[in-house]
Amino acid sequence: MTAQAEQPAGAAAGGQRRRLPAPSLREAGIIALFALIVFTLPWWLTAIGGYEALATKIAIWAIFALGFDILLGFTGYLSFGHAAFFGVAAYTTGLMFKHVSGDVVLALLVSIVVIAVLAAVLGVLTLRRAGIYFAILTLAFAQMFHAAALSIFQEWTGGDNGLTMSTKPALFGLPMQGLNVFYVVAVLLVIGFVAARQIKRSSLGLMLRAIKENSMRLQYTGVNVWRYKMIAYMISAMYAGVAGSLMVVYEPYVATKFLHWSTSGEVVIMSVIGGVNTLIGPMIGAGFMLYFENVVQAFIGEKWKLILGLIFVLIVVFLPGGFVDGFNRIRRALGIRTKPRRPNVPDAPETMSRYHDSKNTPAQTGSDN
Amino acid sequence: MASQAATRTEPGPAAAAGRAAEMGETLLDVQGVSKSFAGLKALSDINLQVKRGSIHAIIGPNGAGKSTLLNCLIGLLRPDEGSVTFDGRPLVGMQPHKIIQRGIARVFQTPQIFPALSLQENVAIAALAKRDGQFALTPHESLRPGHPMMKEAAYQLERVGLGDMLDMAAQNLSRGDKRRLEMAICLAAHPKLLLLDEPTAGMSRHDTNRTIDLLQKISETGMTKIVIEHDMHVVFSLAERVTVLHQGTIIADGKPEQVRGDPKVEEAYLGGAHE
Repeated sequence: MTAQAEQPAGAAAGGQRRRLPAPSLREAGIIALFALIVFTLPWWLTAIGGYEALATKIAIWAIFALGFDILLGFTGYLSFGHAAFFGVAAYTTGLMFKHVSGDVVLALLVSIVVIAVLAAVLGVLTLRRAGIYFAILTLAFAQMFHAAALSIFQEWTGGDNGLTMSTKPALFGLPMQGLNVFYVVAVLLVIGFVAARQIKRSSLGLMLRAIKENSMRLQYTGVNVWRYKMIAYMISAMYAGVAGSLMVVYEPYVATKFLHWSTSGEVVIMSVIGGVNTLIGPMIGAGFMLYFENVVQAFIGEKWKLILGLIFVLIVVFLPGGFVDGFNRIRRALGIRTKPRRPNVPDAPETMSRYHDSKNTPAQTGSDN
Repeated sequence: MASQAATRTEPGPAAAAGRAAEMGETLLDVQGVSKSFAGLKALSDINLQVKRGSIHAIIGPNGAGKSTLLNCLIGLLRPDEGSVTFDGRPLVGMQPHKIIQRGIARVFQTPQIFPALSLQENVAIAALAKRDGQFALTPHESLRPGHPMMKEAAYQLERVGLGDMLDMAAQNLSRGDKRRLEMAICLAAHPKLLLLDEPTAGMSRHDTNRTIDLLQKISETGMTKIVIEHDMHVVFSLAERVTVLHQGTIIADGKPEQVRGDPKVEEAYLGGAHE
């Protein structure tokens, strides 16, 4: 039976691929569409009441949220301390601009190295625990950095006044002003998106999803779970670090707020309202949050935070899969067949019906031999 | 298989003397393992030898220490005393994933699977762990259906009878099928020793018989197995040797027919949780 057993499986897999365009072609289409939406952001955002600089900010936070999804969405680890990476990278970049040069490439590279070291150290300390303990540990460490920036490192960080600099950052001689900044950020966002998608479908990505699903089974399958967690943590820290550095490129100023827990909290909220484990969702969440904070606020005034909080609660209660889940539900309601996919919400009913309606019912497989 | 069982030395005091002669054939050697929880002796002075290629059953009433013993083997628990030698090398004190990498796989009492992942992905994880060892940085390697590890997963799923549900999320399987999935995960790791903790618990007679068939089929590959079981039908259909645990000690050890008639075994089952 051994040689023949492989046949049906191989045939089924081949059949599935034939129905869709070739994977590389489909992937290229998705990336092209994504790049198009990102690069035209300044124009269509202006059309709906935003402004150019907001597009840059949204793209920066989208990078942050994208990396955060690799840790929270894939691996299932909720960090409440990613402000540490965002903030420390921002300070590193700021200090590079202020004391060394306005070279963006150099500042980014130095920041990435600093964040890699920092993430390795914090990872060793925090990844010993999971769940709520991990969240609390990351929060505690991030708040220590915030406190340090306001006390022992005050001379370097400028304390409450923030870090100011007179340098004009430049990339290969190109001054970082206006839309130039946006294009640099947009290119990095697209690269970050491509990388995250590749990780998701890779064997590394499968290991990360396995950690979220059942880390005990994974360990007792002979896998060093801790090392994979560390990799996920470090990758997401790098994204946060790049985002933090870009904030300083965008506006040569570092506020202590970058290290504050509310920065960590914002990226969590963005991820949840957008849709965890979808990559695209957290980025939509970032866009929504910043749009709300900067545009809608102008219309409804100070109570915007109250409204935002209400939206957050409603989404968590009624749409736990976030905007992406909502979008899929609308498509299903309109009768558009969505690509069958496993839900990111554990109790979503679609998979059950999908398989019990199809010919592959468990009952049928019970009659082998 | 049958001839191997027949040539086995008798259990009891003679076992110690016979052990030296068996060394090369012994895959797993447990010596004087004890484990206590807060003063309660869960295992005391367990000695157990498992021959290469054999199916070895461990039976006993609830609370006899069967699962504790398996946990001590794979590093889920660390024995207070004693040694565990697998394939000629000591295991005690090693991290679980390293023990597993030596060539042990376990089917747990409650099926341990990756619920939201597809069946094929579930098994591919084990195939990857077999190929790459405990860790590999492979973000560049896309896992498409034609990937060798995905094909291996499909093959192993076919073996356990789940070959036509490759894309299904594991959480949607029935309990019996979840256990078969876990079996496929273990098979994809190509272990030298497979530990099965009540592989037929909660299964219908039909499913139980299918599981027995499957285990016998796997045996043809020469894989050694330790089966913990309550179901005597399973034990006597499969095992070449049976070890009976009661209150943390071995009260009988031998061929199934020897153990079946042992008065101490009957007493343990009647006095404790009756079958």
